Amino acid sequence: MAKATKDVIYGLYNDEEVLMNAVKVANSKHLEIMEVFTPFPVHGLDPLLGFEESRLHIGGFIYGGLGTLTAFLGMTWIFTKDWPVIFGGKPYWSVPAFIPITFELTVLFAAIGMVVTFYIINGMGPGIKLPILDNRITDDKFCIAFDKSTVDASTAESFLKETGAEEIDSKII
Amino acid sequence: MNNQYTIPARQTTILLVGIAIGVVSLLLTYFGSGDNELHSRFWSNILHNSVFFTGISLMAVFFLSASITAWAGWYTVFKRVWEAFGQFLIVGFVLMLILGLGLYFDWHHIYHWADAESVEHDKILQGKSGFLNANMYVIFGGIIVAVWYFFARRMRSISLHEDDHGGDSNFSHHRKLRWYAAVFLPIAGFTSAAMIWLWVMSVDAHWYSTLYAWYAGASWFVSMIALTIMVISFMKSKGYFADVTDEHLHDLGKLLFAFSIFWTYLWFSQFMLIWYGNVGEETGYYLLRKNEYGVMFYGNVVINFIIPFFVLMRNDNKKKYGTLLFTAGVVFFGHWWDYFLMIKPGVIHTAHELLGGGHGHGADAHGAADHGAHGADHVAEAAHGAADHAIHGAGEAAHHASEFLMGYNLPGFLEIGTLIGFLSLFLLFFWRTLASAPLTPKQDPFLEESLHHHA
Repeated sequence: MAKATKDVIYGLYNDEEVLMNAVKVANSKHLEIMEVFTPFPVHGLDPLLGFEESRLHIGGFIYGGLGTLTAFLGMTWIFTKDWPVIFGGKPYWSVPAFIPITFELTVLFAAIGMVVTFYIINGMGPGIKLPILDNRITDDKFCIAFDKSTVDASTAESFLKETGAEEIDSKII
Repeated sequence: MNNQYTIPARQTTILLVGIAIGVVSLLLTYFGSGDNELHSRFWSNILHNSVFFTGISLMAVFFLSASITAWAGWYTVFKRVWEAFGQFLIVGFVLMLILGLGLYFDWHHIYHWADAESVEHDKILQGKSGFLNANMYVIFGGIIVAVWYFFARRMRSISLHEDDHGGDSNFSHHRKLRWYAAVFLPIAGFTSAAMIWLWVMSVDAHWYSTLYAWYAGASWFVSMIALTIMVISFMKSKGYFADVTDEHLHDLGKLLFAFSIFWTYLWFSQFMLIWYGNVGEETGYYLLRKNEYGVMFYGNVVINFIIPFFVLMRNDNKKKYGTLLFTAGVVFFGHWWDYFLMIKPGVIHTAHELLGGGHGHGADAHGAADHGAHGADHVAEAAHGAADHAIHGAGEAAHHASEFLMGYNLPGFLEIGTLIGFLSLFLLFFWRTLASAPLTPKQDPFLEESLHHHA
């Protein structure tokens, strides 16, 4: 990949409460955290890291709306113009019968649209390999990583030790 | 910290005035000119509100039990609210008993199946008379509501006892609560359905729907959550429940949102299957409501689905007190309106039948024999088979459409007044119960989790 490499120092924690406290300490010391990796979403971590609320759900709403329109207008066109068939003596344009399918396509469009958007935003996709600091952060370890170009390595190391990191390591990614 | 609620004198006065409004409304309904000689409007208003508020208190106990069984802890800071909601079941018991006794003493004629003369000539009512009869209504219904109340009372008293005697390493109080909660869940699940059939669905005595109990139960549940949100917001504004944070209200908002959708799902499932099947004995229910109650029928979906769905969809809207409170109010009224629509059309239909009008047969389920009685001009229609039920029914319904009746086709001032009365009664009872115990269950093992709740 053409991306510039980063020299990263990181610490692994065993518990999310310890990690949360460490992030609070880092904030109070104005240490710039490059990234935090956790095996599951930790409640209350996002505001500590100063993340803005994700706009993914707005995308989801738009995709869902597209699904609604596709299904409803599609069926309207098919059953009134393209190929009108009488089912059970019902009128061609039978709104109640359209609703389950409209609902299904709304969910389908919203779900697929959000997944694809999520992958694109994060630069993920089939065949793309992203560097990983430690395999265990997808299992039971919580990780705080610093970029050595913004934070002094020795400061970062002493911070990680003080806040209870179990392991500290460096890696170029 | 305000851990003990004291009802301000002004609040009691306002609620008593509310109850007085309810009583005056009921008296005006009974003695006023807007009612027929059977007093159907008066009695159906009592039925409507009694069922609505009894159901809300049942759902509070039910959800409390479900939460305890699921090891949930987030609700613990305000669980006294649900415990107190549940105690209203004793009032519900009395109200439903009054309606039940009315069956024996001919006070009211809400239920077609309770009219001996109608049952004599009606095969369908005869077939259902094993379940739909006065003894079943009073004895079976009474026992069931008594059982509900027993659980509500027991679970509250265990919880209160825990305050002073809890905290042992064995969590003996909580274990006991879990036992009661687990036993109550299946009891409430099955019996609530039976009570909905008996109290509400049997208003349309010829009609039935297997989804109905779920749909009516979901209505109760959403109203209960909406009322919880309103009560907690009010008490927070008075300085109580400081530990109930945005996070708790956010979760209540999620429940309001989710169960509004659940209600819509059931409402629509019931409607679509009947619409699609197009069986005459089933479509009558919806034809009547669509043709004569158009505003209420479609309005029902708007206020109970469209408004909560779009208003509460955004994450942050569920955290804004004003928005949440507004939606809770709309939805609470919306489900009261839903119950109005479940009960009133059947009641007025029964009144027509009993007063000798005999209208509305076509849309109802009198079966094939009815066609013969309608004579030669219907022979041609009968040849078309089942579909003609709908056509025929629509004609009958159009005949009714000319007779707009306040209090039946639309809730009038008297209905709103009755709602205010019952709501005030409910709230007065609730607040008096709530004030009789500390607001925070300080020995509940889940309290700590609830205080640190993050959604």
